Amino acid sequence: MIEQSAAVHLSHPISALPSKKFPEWLTFLLWCAPNLLLFLVFTYYPFFFNIYISLTKWNFLNPAPIFVGVENYLRLFQDSDFWRVLLNTLVYAFCTVFIAQTLAFVLALLLNRPYRGMTFFRLLVFTPQVTIGAAAALIWILLLDPQQGPLSILYHWLEIPGLRWLANSNTALWAIILVGIWRECSFSAIFFWAGLQNLSSEVLDAARVDGASSWVLLYRIILPLMTPMIFFLMVSGLIQAVKVFDLVAIMSEGGPVYPASATFVYHLYKLAFRDFQAGSASALAIIFFVLIFGLTLVQLKSSQRWVHHG
Amino acid sequence: MVNKWATFAILVFFCFFLALPYFWMISTAFKPLEEVAAYPPHWLPRQPTLHNFALAWQAAPFGRFTLNSVISAGISCILQIFFALLMGYAFAFLKFPAKRFLFMAVIATMLIPEEAKLIPNYTTILRLGWMNTYTALIIPTVAHAFPVFVLFQWFRSLPRDLIEAAKVDGASHWQTLWQVVVPASRAVVLVLTLYSFVNRWNDYFWALVVTDKLAMRTLPIGLAYLKGTQEGGNQWNLLMAAALFATLPLVLLFLVTQKLILQEVQLIRKERFGN
Repeated sequence: MIEQSAAVHLSHPISALPSKKFPEWLTFLLWCAPNLLLFLVFTYYPFFFNIYISLTKWNFLNPAPIFVGVENYLRLFQDSDFWRVLLNTLVYAFCTVFIAQTLAFVLALLLNRPYRGMTFFRLLVFTPQVTIGAAAALIWILLLDPQQGPLSILYHWLEIPGLRWLANSNTALWAIILVGIWRECSFSAIFFWAGLQNLSSEVLDAARVDGASSWVLLYRIILPLMTPMIFFLMVSGLIQAVKVFDLVAIMSEGGPVYPASATFVYHLYKLAFRDFQAGSASALAIIFFVLIFGLTLVQLKSSQRWVHHG
Repeated sequence: MVNKWATFAILVFFCFFLALPYFWMISTAFKPLEEVAAYPPHWLPRQPTLHNFALAWQAAPFGRFTLNSVISAGISCILQIFFALLMGYAFAFLKFPAKRFLFMAVIATMLIPEEAKLIPNYTTILRLGWMNTYTALIIPTVAHAFPVFVLFQWFRSLPRDLIEAAKVDGASHWQTLWQVVVPASRAVVLVLTLYSFVNRWNDYFWALVVTDKLAMRTLPIGLAYLKGTQEGGNQWNLLMAAALFATLPLVLLFLVTQKLILQEVQLIRKERFGN
């Protein structure tokens, strides 16, 4: 440490004048000012203003929102679209996160084996991460098309008529979930793999010397050591997943019969910018905030029981 | 547990699912129109053509979309990291009476999702007359607690002597930040910049809300727009050419930075632990 600091060389050492003139608290304020100002104007103000708009009736155009109390919330709770959208969002989030992360963990274990050629497989696993959401949505519309694309081979071989996933209200959401799994699986696999790489080889070797079989090793050592990471990825995965918007907006617009495949954020967008109901949309946004907050708390609570600290 | 061949078999199965979309996009982007609908589908174009890229650029102003994406994602990400460096340094090394409170207030913003600020922020943009401007695409997306938090934690883990030595040498805080702290944090800064840029490049929601003129749309929205036009709507070769074009910057960025990041991390390990 000492040699290191001695090695630090400043190209322009200057006299202590500026620090005398410039008190530390002022530097602190100046340096924090840009972010603090932006947080005030674009985070705190809008958050509280959103709560107010959610208690009003407004279409963005009228000079002032009209106060109506909790009417927007009551209307939402009586609206079957709202419940459908909530259900869709939860189904989407839980299916993508649990299926994708289970697959991703298995994939990461395989990628971590000491064979040649793994770099190539890792590259393939990474491809969904460089595919931006809008491009991914377009590609999957093509891939799921029953006439063009690789699925047509499968349909032909099975001798069944091609299923038009996105044109059917029962399957549209599942098509979007499939894309969600594809995206999330790639993301989590990379993280799990990096986590496995960081496991201390001494612990693993010691267990092997003690005669632990590979299954015992997995259950007793690798899984407990990986739980903090699994927990982290689950929380962030669920919170990311309930926010899904781009896939829905491009693949189905919530259709084919609204709200068959609409999710929370898409519904929020539709209420605000298609129906111009700023009040209802804001109420939805507040409920969304509570949902995310709740998810975080539940995950934090449950994690205390099974996350291995150590 | 699982032998070598089973490992490879399962990996091939997984990777087929994960890499097929990207492969199919590239393949379709180079197919002439007649080949797109061929049955059985061609895995590789029989007569590869570059014509689709030119056609896609004629069907929609992709040059403009690209420019918009580069400007908004680039400036937003640079400002975000710059302000986060300043704030992270202030929280880590400077004394201030209400520091703890301010820190909590900044971290708490991570609990407020973008969606819960959307409508008021949209009205702010309307009132300021910022619709269809780069300012609207950039400024509200700049402040983020995540990079502040990561940089703060990283700065705190730096050897104390490093900062003290700079102080003894008479360096101002500005000099300490740029000549001592940032060079010792290259990898973290690089990763955060990359992460921020990719997020901004991907953004669909905010850009969709604050622009409605075609000339101000960004690449992701441009892609969806092309899908809705007469020329692009059902011509999958054009759409895939455009999609490939929109993802290329990310591919290049990752190819370049992958090596850089590894090198940086190794360098830091050497500096810190001497091996």
